Amino acid sequence: MYGGGYIFEETKNGKSNAIEEDSNKLKHFEAKIAAGDKIEPSDWMPAEYRKQLIRMIEQHAHSEIIGALPEGTWITRAPGFRRKLALMAKVQDEVGHAQLLYSAAETLGKPREQMINDLITGKSKYSNVFNYPAVTWADTAVIAWLIDAGAIINQVANSKGSYGPYCRALERICLEESFHLKYGHDNVVFLATGTSKQREMVQEALTRWWPPIMHFFGPSDKISVHTETLMRWKVKMASNDDMRQKFLDMYVPKIWDLKLIIPDENLNKNEQTGKWDYTEPDWDEFKKVINGDGPCNKERLAIRRRSEEKGEWVRRALMQPSEKYVMPLA
Amino acid sequence: MNISKSEIEAVKDLIYRMADDELILGHRNSEWTGLGPILEEDIAFSSMAQDKLGHAQALYQILNKLGDADPDTLAFGRKEKDMKCCHLVEYPIGEYDFSLMRHFLFDEAEALRFEMLSKSSFEDLANVAKKFRGELKYHTMHAEIWIEQLANGNEESKARMQSSLNECFPLALGIFEPSEFEDILISSNIFQGEKVLMESWLLKIEEILEKANLKIPDVSTLTPVYGGRKGYHTEYLKPLLDEMTEVYCIDPEAEW
Amino acid sequence: MSIKSIDPRVTRESLPEQPDTNPMKEFNHWQTYEVFHQEKSGSHHIHVGSLHSPNSEMALILAKEQYARRYKCVNMWVVKTADVITTKPEDEDIFETAPEKIYREASGYKVMDRINKFKDEQKIKK
Repeated sequence: MYGGGYIFEETKNGKSNAIEEDSNKLKHFEAKIAAGDKIEPSDWMPAEYRKQLIRMIEQHAHSEIIGALPEGTWITRAPGFRRKLALMAKVQDEVGHAQLLYSAAETLGKPREQMINDLITGKSKYSNVFNYPAVTWADTAVIAWLIDAGAIINQVANSKGSYGPYCRALERICLEESFHLKYGHDNVVFLATGTSKQREMVQEALTRWWPPIMHFFGPSDKISVHTETLMRWKVKMASNDDMRQKFLDMYVPKIWDLKLIIPDENLNKNEQTGKWDYTEPDWDEFKKVINGDGPCNKERLAIRRRSEEKGEWVRRALMQPSEKYVMPLA
Repeated sequence: MNISKSEIEAVKDLIYRMADDELILGHRNSEWTGLGPILEEDIAFSSMAQDKLGHAQALYQILNKLGDADPDTLAFGRKEKDMKCCHLVEYPIGEYDFSLMRHFLFDEAEALRFEMLSKSSFEDLANVAKKFRGELKYHTMHAEIWIEQLANGNEESKARMQSSLNECFPLALGIFEPSEFEDILISSNIFQGEKVLMESWLLKIEEILEKANLKIPDVSTLTPVYGGRKGYHTEYLKPLLDEMTEVYCIDPEAEW
Repeated sequence: MSIKSIDPRVTRESLPEQPDTNPMKEFNHWQTYEVFHQEKSGSHHIHVGSLHSPNSEMALILAKEQYARRYKCVNMWVVKTADVITTKPEDEDIFETAPEKIYREASGYKVMDRINKFKDEQKIKK
């Protein structure tokens, strides 16, 4: 699971620093990417490329480990063996994905422990959608279906990016995630077609989660040199709007098939433009929450920190202080 | 196998104990998912918790075949006094040292029990026991490495492992609470019994604990914690069951 | 006051309402290992990723779950990343001309034309 392709960064200026790099090396680097080749950890890369990739992959990793929390909320209360086993497997996969992504980010030079520290101090961000609470069991079903759906759209796009380790991690993630989506959909279908209590629960959950889902891909991209460079370097693979449209195309009809109500009267596929019209999400709310003022921000970071603290004695007991840190190879 | 009514009663009692242990311990261990001491270990521990639940489900399936309710109803529909799990598995997860020590002591017993049952005259049970042999091999490998390494780690980890062992040991003895069906199980070749199991378990764990340089509590000086098999449980079980069945109880007839 | 969460596990931790946002003091690095996975008997061991572990014994135990939990696997290798020796990226050119040496490829050997020409010549002679 992942957050939007939206890289949470207020860029101070639109210029990239690439101009200051060795222009020959840069030409060669860009030609390689344009030809569809991958950049590997030992290749030369512009500092800006390295910086943006670290930020993007790190945020993705944080989103996985924090993303384990809303659904993890209901592991102990999952009804029946089938759901209990599947939810445990899914959440465990998310933790596994975090591990894969931290490893990919580490190949760019930032140690995992430093990334985790940046997470718990609030310095590094993660997908905003996980700052909301999973109020009922049905919330986990909606998350597993629709948030994972959004994540998969992103991941499939990014898996065609330029950085080798990230692409390889994403391939593995996409493979594992195929059951997540099916599980989520299966769960929502059972609830929507079940008893009236179940149906009520899942409708309420959908109503509650629709705004964060609409926030998921981030606001419309500002066209800037910065965005253009990232697209040329295949760090950013598709615009936020494109991905959001894709998501709506794929999933709104399926939601409507179940006769569930999406809380947006303006949501409609425009016959003329071929695009979905919708009420513009509240981006002020988004900004407020991503900057720490959401319903669960404090709790997410607090439990993450507590887990790290509780595990300290374990890590310390087995550490060999004489051995130096080594970056993963690929 | 032609099985008599009293043999059925005996084997059911055995399977309820085993299945309830697996269910409750699997549930407890799943509480660590996403909150473990290091990512790689978080994944491993959570995976083993899933395995336990899988074992529970397979065992409840046998009970269903013998005429009792379906696995979901058996696991989610019974009250505290009807549960046959031992006290060890009911305890909260505590810190990682407690959970690891519990994992070690329980899983070694489980592996030996399944090994013994793989030769059971009761075919369904023998099949389940054989099926999960590989999983349990990994569980015990995992437990042994962690116990040895932490107990031989630094001063703090040594102390923690010793104190967890002291705490868990009397509880672990409760796994082998004597059964009124011991004789029938032995004479019908269904199971060699708790006594034999406990003896092999003691030998096995002593071997590992010596490598770990941990002081093994003297069994003769301890009071084993019994009661679980007869439906007398710790204060922890009811809140656990309430939590576990919270959604299920919204409507036990519903399909989730 | 502690955090009351919808997640009972979180509530049980009695977390402070105002969490500490200072960096944690210790960086506890474990060693890095590369993991190789053999899908079935007869297959090559393939590199599947890396993990952190305090030692090689533990690395195998952890690799089993992280890299074989969801896949068919019959065998695994782990190697300390520090022990892997690699070619340098700037030496990529040492591999460059290899594909051009068609005298080492089956496709570099085409004699049909020659055989046919020979056959035709033989027919004419008769």
